[in-house]
Amino acid sequence: MQVDGTEQRLRGLMLAALDGDANAYRALLSDLARYLRPWFTRRLSPAHASHAEDLVQETLLAVHARRMTYDRTRPFTAWLHAIAHHKFVDHVRRHAIRPTVPLDDDAPIFAVDDSAHAADRRDVDAVLSTVSPRTADLIRQTRIEGASVAEAAARHGMTETAAKVSIHRGLKALMGRFGGGGK
Amino acid sequence: MTETLISTLVQDLRPIRNRAMQTRLAGAVALGALITIPYAWLLLSLAIGRPFVPLWGEGMFWMKFGYALVLGLLGLSAVPALSRPDGHIRWPFVAAGLLTLVVFGLGMARWMTNNWAMPDLMGNSALVCPWLIGLTGLPMLAALLGAMRVLAPRSPAWAGLAAGLLAGGFGALAYALFCDENGMMFIAVWYGLGIGLTTALGALLGRWLLRW
Repeated sequence: MQVDGTEQRLRGLMLAALDGDANAYRALLSDLARYLRPWFTRRLSPAHASHAEDLVQETLLAVHARRMTYDRTRPFTAWLHAIAHHKFVDHVRRHAIRPTVPLDDDAPIFAVDDSAHAADRRDVDAVLSTVSPRTADLIRQTRIEGASVAEAAARHGMTETAAKVSIHRGLKALMGRFGGGGK
Repeated sequence: MTETLISTLVQDLRPIRNRAMQTRLAGAVALGALITIPYAWLLLSLAIGRPFVPLWGEGMFWMKFGYALVLGLLGLSAVPALSRPDGHIRWPFVAAGLLTLVVFGLGMARWMTNNWAMPDLMGNSALVCPWLIGLTGLPMLAALLGAMRVLAPRSPAWAGLAAGLLAGGFGALAYALFCDENGMMFIAVWYGLGIGLTTALGALLGRWLLRW
């Protein structure tokens, strides 16, 4: 399972870093930045997506300054999740942002992070290149980057209904081509 | 930008000893206790004129002492967990509440058999007792909150509450050495209020000082 593998790897890096291993620490922080970025982006509305990088940095700083509070016998990802959650709630309150996900959403931090994998990203690019560029971009914005249909439509100067139809047709075409003929 | 930050943090890396947080908290408790010894004597003996008279031979002294000690230990057992971002612990507060109720019940029972005699409740020092307990607990509270500022409590108010309970219990314990009251009801009400005062102060200050 991906979650357990991630936990094991990150916890190993964290334990080495606590003992002073700078290379492990650099690997850990880079990994965390890569995982946290989409995690925060998903929780912010597209209008506030630019805050994600600030939140990543605030979280890394907190991980660094308060790493003494990590209990070596407990899961690392739970500790990290608690810090990221704390920073997110704090940030949202300070900036009076409306979060897009309920705050008590305790979905595991790493479970859905497929966008970080370059191979998957290439596959998505390859698949989307088989429909028209505009449809591909609409699908990308609404289904992968988390924009609403209205925003994606506005960016292409089309009505919401037209965008919906375009996305629907595009996805249907892709299903027909790559769905394996199952349904 | 984030890459620069990571490089800076990596350069700043220092090894962290196992159980470093517990060591830090234990140091704060020791520091608080060390300051309290001269402080309590200055405050209670010199300023207020209370002689240092621990009544070792009296059961009621040990009642006071034990009550304060147990409440302080309950606070102590909650502080480390509540200082972590993913920490969660409630039983020490439940136990502290139950213990207070039990002591209050015992006090009422004894007071009733004594025909509700007012001295049982008021003693000679009822109106200063809670305030003096609160004052006696201040050094411990300050030492604890100071040490906890670099930690990462999930809820600053709850962490402050635990620190306040520890400091209140310890303050009452030190105060008991200068106190000649021996009514059970007196202890239940006025010691309880004094410790409660410090606990509430801890929560208020924690909410503000322990934010991160």
